Amino acid sequence: MSAPCPCCQADIAPAVHRRGGGRSLARKTADSVGHAVTDVLQNEELAARPGLLQGLDPRVKLLTLLLFAVAASLVHSVWLLVALIALTMALAAASLVGVGSFARRVWASAGLLAFLVALPSALSWFTPGQVVVSLGPLSFTEPGLMGVATLVARVAAAAGFAILVIWTMRWTDLLRALSAMHMPDVVVATLAMTHRQILTLLRTVEQIHLARESRTLTRGTTRENRAWVTERMAFVMRKSMKTADDVYDAMLSRGFTGAMPSLVRLRTRPRDWMWAAASVALCVAIVIADRAVGP
Amino acid sequence: MRETDFVLEGVGHEYRAGTPALAAIDLSIGCGQHVAVVGANGSGKSTLLKILDGLVFPSSGEITAFGAPLTEVALEDPAFRRDFRSRVGFVFQEADVQLFCSDVRDELAFGPLQLGLPEDEVRRRVQEVAGQLGLEKLLDRPPYSLSGGEKKRVAIASVVTMESHVLLLDEPATALDPRSQVWLLDVLEAWKREGRTVVMATHDLSVAAEAADRLVVLSEDHTLVADGTPDEVLAQRELLLAVNLIHEHTHRHESASHRHAHAHGPGTDPDQAHGHGHD
Amino acid sequence: MDIVAMHIPDGYLGPQTYVVLWIVMIPIWVVAARKVKRTLKTKQIPLLALGAAFSFVIMMFNVPVLGGSTGHAVGATLIAIVLGPWAAVIAVSIALVIQALLFGDGGITAIAANCFNMAVVIPFVGYYLYRLVAGDAPSSSRRVVSSGVAAYVAIVAGAICAGFEFGIQPYIAHTASGQALYAPYKLDVAVPAMALEHLLFFGWVEAIVTMGVVAALARTEPALLETKPAAKPLRWLWAGIGVLILFTPIGALAPGTAWGEWGGEELDSLVGYVPTNLEKLGGLWKAGMPDYATPGVSNTLLGYLIAAVVGTVLVVGVTWGVGALLARGRGDDDDAASRSTAPTVPTG
Repeated sequence: MSAPCPCCQADIAPAVHRRGGGRSLARKTADSVGHAVTDVLQNEELAARPGLLQGLDPRVKLLTLLLFAVAASLVHSVWLLVALIALTMALAAASLVGVGSFARRVWASAGLLAFLVALPSALSWFTPGQVVVSLGPLSFTEPGLMGVATLVARVAAAAGFAILVIWTMRWTDLLRALSAMHMPDVVVATLAMTHRQILTLLRTVEQIHLARESRTLTRGTTRENRAWVTERMAFVMRKSMKTADDVYDAMLSRGFTGAMPSLVRLRTRPRDWMWAAASVALCVAIVIADRAVGP
Repeated sequence: MRETDFVLEGVGHEYRAGTPALAAIDLSIGCGQHVAVVGANGSGKSTLLKILDGLVFPSSGEITAFGAPLTEVALEDPAFRRDFRSRVGFVFQEADVQLFCSDVRDELAFGPLQLGLPEDEVRRRVQEVAGQLGLEKLLDRPPYSLSGGEKKRVAIASVVTMESHVLLLDEPATALDPRSQVWLLDVLEAWKREGRTVVMATHDLSVAAEAADRLVVLSEDHTLVADGTPDEVLAQRELLLAVNLIHEHTHRHESASHRHAHAHGPGTDPDQAHGHGHD
Repeated sequence: MDIVAMHIPDGYLGPQTYVVLWIVMIPIWVVAARKVKRTLKTKQIPLLALGAAFSFVIMMFNVPVLGGSTGHAVGATLIAIVLGPWAAVIAVSIALVIQALLFGDGGITAIAANCFNMAVVIPFVGYYLYRLVAGDAPSSSRRVVSSGVAAYVAIVAGAICAGFEFGIQPYIAHTASGQALYAPYKLDVAVPAMALEHLLFFGWVEAIVTMGVVAALARTEPALLETKPAAKPLRWLWAGIGVLILFTPIGALAPGTAWGEWGGEELDSLVGYVPTNLEKLGGLWKAGMPDYATPGVSNTLLGYLIAAVVGTVLVVGVTWGVGALLARGRGDDDDAASRSTAPTVPTG
C-alpha cells in the first residue's frame, strides 16, 4: 500500500526488498545502451590511431583477418591455436589499441562463456577417458579437458581476429571494403543506413529509459514494467517507421536512384601486398603444421 | 525569363480516407520570390512543401512546376526527374532525417553525384560549399558525431551543392540557437540576391516577417486564408488569432491588468510556457 | 553487452558446418532480396534499415519475466508479422551482421548459421503460424494471442536448429581419443538443452515482447498489422509439415527401433523365429539407403542424419511438385509473402 506524501504528492511505496536488487530495469537498459553507443564512438577513435593494422587498405585488412579466423577454425592442435592467440596479441600491440583492454575484451566477450559452457563436458560422464582431475564426485577426463582447452583457445583466437577487424577499421571503410568485394549496392546502402538508424534509435531508447528512471520513485511490479517496456518498444517501432518514410523522402528529393555513390577511392600500396603475402603464407604454414602434428 | 515557378490549382491532399492534410489550395509562386507559409502545427505546411517537391502527390487539384505538370507519372521519366530534382532542393525539419551518408563529404556529394555530374565538378562544388558554410574541418567526420547546429549546416550544405533554383525549407529556424538564426537569415539574403526562389514553412512569425517578401497563411482546417506582404498579413490580428498563430492573454502589472496579443520568438515551441517583456 | 541465448560465436562450429550454412544462406538471401525489391522497390532501403535497426535495438531491451529476472528477445517474429517474412530475412540478417561486425557479438564465420536460425527459421515459422492461428480478419485480441503463440514456437524451432548445429559437431570432428574439437556436447545433450532453455525461459520472453508490441500497435497503428486475405487450406499443411521437419532431429535421440518396424533379424532376436513370408519379401527391395545409413559414411549417426535430410528433401520435393501441378490447374496465386508498405503517417 502506498500513500501520497502530503507535501509533494509523490507516490511513495514503503521500501520493499526485492530479490536481486541492484539497478532498476530502466537503469540497466539505459546503461547497456549507453555502453553500446560509447563503444561505437570509441571505435572511431581507435581506428584513427597510427598503428600497423590501421594503415592497411580496408579490403586487404578485412580479407586477411577473415583468412586468419578461418585458419583458426581449421586448426586442431591446441598449441597452434595458442600461437594464433599470441599473434592476435602481437597485432593488437602493433596497432596501438592496448593489449590489456584487448585481452580483457576477448576474454569477456567470448573466452569466459566458452569456458563455462564447455567445462561440464570435461566430466567423465560426457567424455569418457583417463581421469586427470577429481573434485569430490566430479571427475574430469583428459580428453574432456583437452576438448575444453581446444574450444576455448579456438574461440579466443577467432574472437581476437574479429575484434581486431572492428577496432582497427572505421565503419565507413568496412562498408567500402564490402562494396569492393562485390557485395550488392542495396546491401551496402542498407548496412550504412542501418548503422545510422541504430545510433539514433539507441539514443532515443537511452533517453526513454533515463527519463523513466528519473521520474520513478518505486520499482513497479513486474507486470507494470513489462507493460511499460513493450509499450515503449511499440513507440520506438512507430517512430522508426515514420522516420523511414521521411528518410526515403529526403533521399528521393536529392535524386536518389538506387545506388549509394561515394567520392572516396580506395588504393592499395606495396605494404598492403606485403602484408597479404605474409598472412597467406602464415595461414598455409599453420594449417600444414597442424595436419603434420596430427589430431 | 519564366515568371512563375509553381502553380497550384485546387490542390488538396488526404493521407488516408478521412485524414485531410490540405484542402483546395490555389497558389502560384513566382520566380525569385521568398514565400513564407505560416500556420499552426498540423495546418498542412509540411504537406504543401512535399507536394511542391514531388514527394507527395495531390489527391485533388493540379500542380504545375516550371510550366510542366508535376505528377507521379511525369517523375517516372528519368530525364524529367533529373531535371526537376536538380532544380528543387528540400531541407527537412529534422537534420537527422537528411543525413544518411557515411561522412560529411559524401553527404555533400550525394545530390550532385546522383544527378550524374562529373566527379571533378562534384569535388569542386563540395569544397566551395564547405568553405561557404564553414564545414571544411568536418568533411571526414561521420554525420552522427556532429552537434545539432553542425548537422543543420551540413543538411543545408547538402542541398546547396545541388545548386537548385528553388529551395524548400521546413521549419528552418526551429531549434537553432540565436547565432545560427542570424547565420540562417544571412544565407537567405544571399539566396535572395542570387535570385533563387525560397518557400519556407514556419509557425514562427518573426522569422517569416524578416526573411520573406510574401506571407501565406494556412488555417487549422487546412485552407489558405491569407496571402500578401508581411505587413499586410501581420496587421490582420483577428485572423491570426483565429488560426492559432498568436494568442492573447491577460496579465497584471502592479495595479493594472491588460490584454495583449503576441507571437513567440524565433526558435521556440508555441506550446511551451513562456515569458515576455513589454515594449 | 549481453546477447541473446541463440547467438553462436566463432569457434563452436567446424568448417563442415559453417560452410554448408553459408552455401545454404546465399541463395536464400538472393531470393529474399528479389522478393523484397519487387514489393518495396527503392523504398526498401530505408524500410529495411529501420527494420534491421529496430531488430537490433529490440535485442537490447531488458524484458522483465518473473520476479527480478529479465531476458532478451530476438523480435524476428514481430518483424516478420509487420514487414513480411522475406523482408524479415533481410532485416534480421542485417541486424546480425551489424552485431558481429560493429559490436563484436556473435562470430563472423558463424554469421550464416546465426542468420539461418534467427533470420530464416524464426521469421518463417513465426509468420505462417501467426497467419494460421489468427485466421481471417482477426480481432485485436486474437492477433495478440496468435502472435504470442507464433513467437514462442518460432523461437523454440530456431533454438532446436542451433542445438542441432552444436550437437553434430562431436560426430563430425573428434580425435581418436574421443576429444571433441569444436562444440563438445552431442545431440542428445545439445538439442534438449537449447530446447528447454527456450521452452522454459526465452520462449516466454519472446512471447511477452511480441504480444506486448502487437497489442500496442493494434491500439495505435492497426494498419501496420494488416495482412492480405487469408491463406488457402494448403498452407495448413505446409505449416504443419514445416514444423514437423524441424523436429525430426529429435528422432535421432531415440534408441532402438520403432514399435512394429522390426526387420527379420530383430524379430528373430525378439521372439525367436521369423515368419516365412517376411523372410521371402525381406530381400526384395534393395533400398538406396538401407537402415537409414548413407553408403560410404561409416559413422552411423552421421549417416542417419544425412539420410534424414535426403529423405525429407525428396518427400518435400515430390509433394511440392505434385502440389504445383495441381495448383496450376486451379490458377492459384501462391505468393502471400508480398505485403503492402506501411502507410505514410501525416505530418501536417
